[in-house]
Amino acid sequence: MKKLFLMTVAVAALTAGTALAADLKFQPGQDSKFNWKSFDDFKAAHGDLKGETLTIFGPWRGEDEALFTSVLNYFVEATGVNAKYSSSENYEQQIVIDTQAGSPPNVAILPQPGLLANLASKGYLTPLGDDLANWVKTNYGAGDSWVSYGTYKGKDGKEAFYAFPYKADLKSLVWYVPENFEEAGYKVPTTMEDLIKLSDQIVKDGGTPWCIGLGSGGATGWPATDWVEEMMLLMNSPQDYDHWVDNTLKFNDPKVVAAIEEFGKFAKNPKYVAGGVASVASTDFRDSPKGLFTVPPKCYMHKQASFIPSFFPEGTKLGQDVDFFYFPPFASHPELGKPVEGAGTLATITKDSKAARAFIQFLQTPIAQEIWMAQSGFLTPYKAVNTAAYANDTLRKEGEILTTATTFRFDGSDLMPGKIGAGSFWTGMVDFVGGKSAQDSADEIQKTWDSIK
Amino acid sequence: MISQILTAVGAMIFGVAVCAAYFLFSNKLLEIIFPAKEGGDVHRVAVNLRRRGIIRPWLFLGPAVSLLAIYLMYPVVATLILSFYGPDGNQFVGGANYVWAVNDNEFRRSIFNNILWLAVVPAACTFFGLVIAVMTDRIWWGNIAKAVIFMPMAISFVGASVIWKFIYEYRGGTDAQIGLLNAIVQLFGGTPQVWITIPFWNNFFLMIMLIWIQTGFAMVILSAALRGIPEETIEAAVIDGANGWQIFWKIMVPQVWGTIATVWTTITILVLKVFDIVLTMTNGQWDTMVLANLMFNWAFRGFDSGRSAVIALVIMIAVTPIMIWNIRRANAETKGH
Repeated sequence: MKKLFLMTVAVAALTAGTALAADLKFQPGQDSKFNWKSFDDFKAAHGDLKGETLTIFGPWRGEDEALFTSVLNYFVEATGVNAKYSSSENYEQQIVIDTQAGSPPNVAILPQPGLLANLASKGYLTPLGDDLANWVKTNYGAGDSWVSYGTYKGKDGKEAFYAFPYKADLKSLVWYVPENFEEAGYKVPTTMEDLIKLSDQIVKDGGTPWCIGLGSGGATGWPATDWVEEMMLLMNSPQDYDHWVDNTLKFNDPKVVAAIEEFGKFAKNPKYVAGGVASVASTDFRDSPKGLFTVPPKCYMHKQASFIPSFFPEGTKLGQDVDFFYFPPFASHPELGKPVEGAGTLATITKDSKAARAFIQFLQTPIAQEIWMAQSGFLTPYKAVNTAAYANDTLRKEGEILTTATTFRFDGSDLMPGKIGAGSFWTGMVDFVGGKSAQDSADEIQKTWDSIK
Repeated sequence: MISQILTAVGAMIFGVAVCAAYFLFSNKLLEIIFPAKEGGDVHRVAVNLRRRGIIRPWLFLGPAVSLLAIYLMYPVVATLILSFYGPDGNQFVGGANYVWAVNDNEFRRSIFNNILWLAVVPAACTFFGLVIAVMTDRIWWGNIAKAVIFMPMAISFVGASVIWKFIYEYRGGTDAQIGLLNAIVQLFGGTPQVWITIPFWNNFFLMIMLIWIQTGFAMVILSAALRGIPEETIEAAVIDGANGWQIFWKIMVPQVWGTIATVWTTITILVLKVFDIVLTMTNGQWDTMVLANLMFNWAFRGFDSGRSAVIALVIMIAVTPIMIWNIRRANAETKGH
C-alpha cells in the first residue's frame, strides 16, 4: 500500500515536471538564437532552491504579465522555486503600503527610480553589491547612466547599488503607418522643424497629424510629462536636464516654461490633435494610438514609448503595418546632438532570501532577456544578448539605439520626488492642456516642490 | 484553495470557542470571587450580587473596549503626534505642517470641495429618499421601484465608477458618442462635453454617483419610519380636509423627523470619507480633489506622514461633532421613551 502511494507521488511529481516544461515557450536547447548555455549554467548553479517560495511584485499587467510569466517559467524550471507574480493598477502606492505594513514581496520591480530612492532611504531595500554595479557598468549600453539610476542613499545615508535594471523602454519614438505616409506622399522628418512642417502639411491636406491621449486612470497626465521631458532634452543641455530633475533648475525657469509651451504647440492646437484639444486629457493613452489604424486615418503620428505596440490592434505587424521614427532634434540646436529619452524597470530586493538573490542573478543571464525579446515589447541595453533574438526589425532597431547610446536620460518625472513626478507634474500638465498657461502651471508645480524641501 | 477554506473555517470555530470560553470562564471567576452563598449571610450575598452586577459588564465589554483602544484610540494619538513631525516622522517640526495646510492651494481646494459635497449629497439623498418612500407606499408597483432604487447600494463604489464612466464617456472629433449623457445632449441638439474635466461642475457629476448609490439607503430607512406613523393621524388630517402637500409636510415629516436626522448624519459621515469615487474617476484632477484623496496622495505619493496626518486629523475633527450630536440625540430619544 505504501509502495503504491509512493509510486503515485512519483508519477504525480513527474507529470507535474513535464507540465511545467510544457509551459516554456521555447524548448531549451532547440533554437540556436537563444543563449541556452546561460540557462543550463544557471540551472546547474541553483538546483538547491527547490521548494522555496519567491514573491515578485511588478508593474506588468494583462499581456505584459503573460510575457513576464513566460520568462519567469524558465526561472521556475531551472530552480524549482515556487514563484508567484502579482501586480496592481496602482502599483506605486501598493508597494509603499506593502513595505510600510511589513509584508513586502521578495522582489519588487518598479519603473520609478525616484520611488525606489524613497524606499531605499527608509531602509526597505537590500543593497545588491558593488560587483553587480560594476557588471552593469561594463555590460550595459550607457552603463554609467544605468548604474546611477539604481544607486540611492540608504537609511544609513550611504550610497549603494539597490536596483538592477531589467527591461528598458525607449521614449523618443514617433509611431506612424508607412502605408498612410506613402499614399499621402509624406516623408519621415529628420529635424523638429521638418516635423512641424509635416504636421502643417497634413492639416493643409485635410488630415489630422497627431493622436495624443493623457488618460491613465489615477495616473492621468503622465504621457504629457514625457513630451515635456523630450522637449527639455531637445532644447537644453543634458546638464540642464539633470538640474531640472533635482530642482537646481527651477520648474518655473524660462527654459522649462519654453519646453512646456513647445509641447503645447502640439497638444493645444485644435488642428493638430485628433478629436480636438478637449479629448486630449480624457482619452486613455492605451486607446489613443488606435487612431493611426482607422480608415481613413484619424491621425498620422503618435509619440509614445516602445511599449505601446502592446496596445496596437491585434495582428499588427511591426515594421510593416506600423513603424517608428526617432523624435527628431531641432536643426537650430546642432550642439545637442541626438539625445535619447528612455525609461526602464528596475528589480530590487524588498525581502531578502536566497531565492530573491537567485532571481536577480537570473535576470543577468542573456536567456532571461532573449525569451521576452523574442516575443514583443522588450528592449534591453544589455550588450551580450543576441540581437537576432528580437522578434522583428523594429525591435532590433530600437534595441540597437539603446546598446549604442552614449547620452541617455531617464524619464524625468520618474526621477523627481513622488509628489512632483507622480503628482503635481501630472496635475500641472492636465491643467495646462485644459487651458492654464505654461507659466501658471509651472509656478504651481514649483510651489509644491518648494513646500516639500 | 481547500486548505485556505479549512483554515478559515477552523479560525471561525476557534474564535467562537474562545469567545464562549471567555464568557463562561469570566462568569465563573466572578461567581468564585463573589459567591452567592456566604454561609447564610443574606446581607453579604446581596452585596456580592450587586458587585457582580457592576463588574460583569466591564468583564464582558473588556475585550471590545481594549480592542477599540488599540485600533481606534492609539491611531488617533499616533496621528496627532505624527502631525508635528517631518515627512519621515523623525524630526519635530512643531506646527509647520498645519501652516503648510492653511497655505496650500490644493488643501484649500479640497476643503472647499468637501464642503460642496457635504452641502449637496446628504440633502439630496435624504430628499429623494423621503419623496420616493412616500410615493412608493401609494402605488402597486412601489415595491418593484424600491427594489430597483435600492439596488445600487449593493454595488461597490469602484464598480459604480465603472458604470458611470460609461455614462460620462466622451469621444473626440466625429466619433459616435457612446456615453449616455452625451447621447442625450446630442439628442436635444447640444454639443457633447468632456463632463469630468469641467472644473467646478465635475464635482457635481461625481456627487450624482454617490447620490445614486445612497438614495436607496435613505429610502429604506425612511420608508420604515413612515410605516410607523399611526394611520389615525393621517385619517384625521384627511377628514379635516388637508391636501397631500399639507399631509406630507405637516403630518408625515414632523413624525419622522428623528429618522431624517439619522439618515442625514449617517450620509454626512460617509461623504466626509468619500475616496473611491474620486480616485477612480479623476484622482483629484480637474479641481475635484477631496480631503481623503489628498491625504492618500501625501501619504503614498509624497511619503509625507506629517502632512497626511494633518489632513487625517482635519477629517476626524470634521466628523466628530456630527457623531457626538448623533449619539446625544439617540440618547435623548431613548430617555424620552
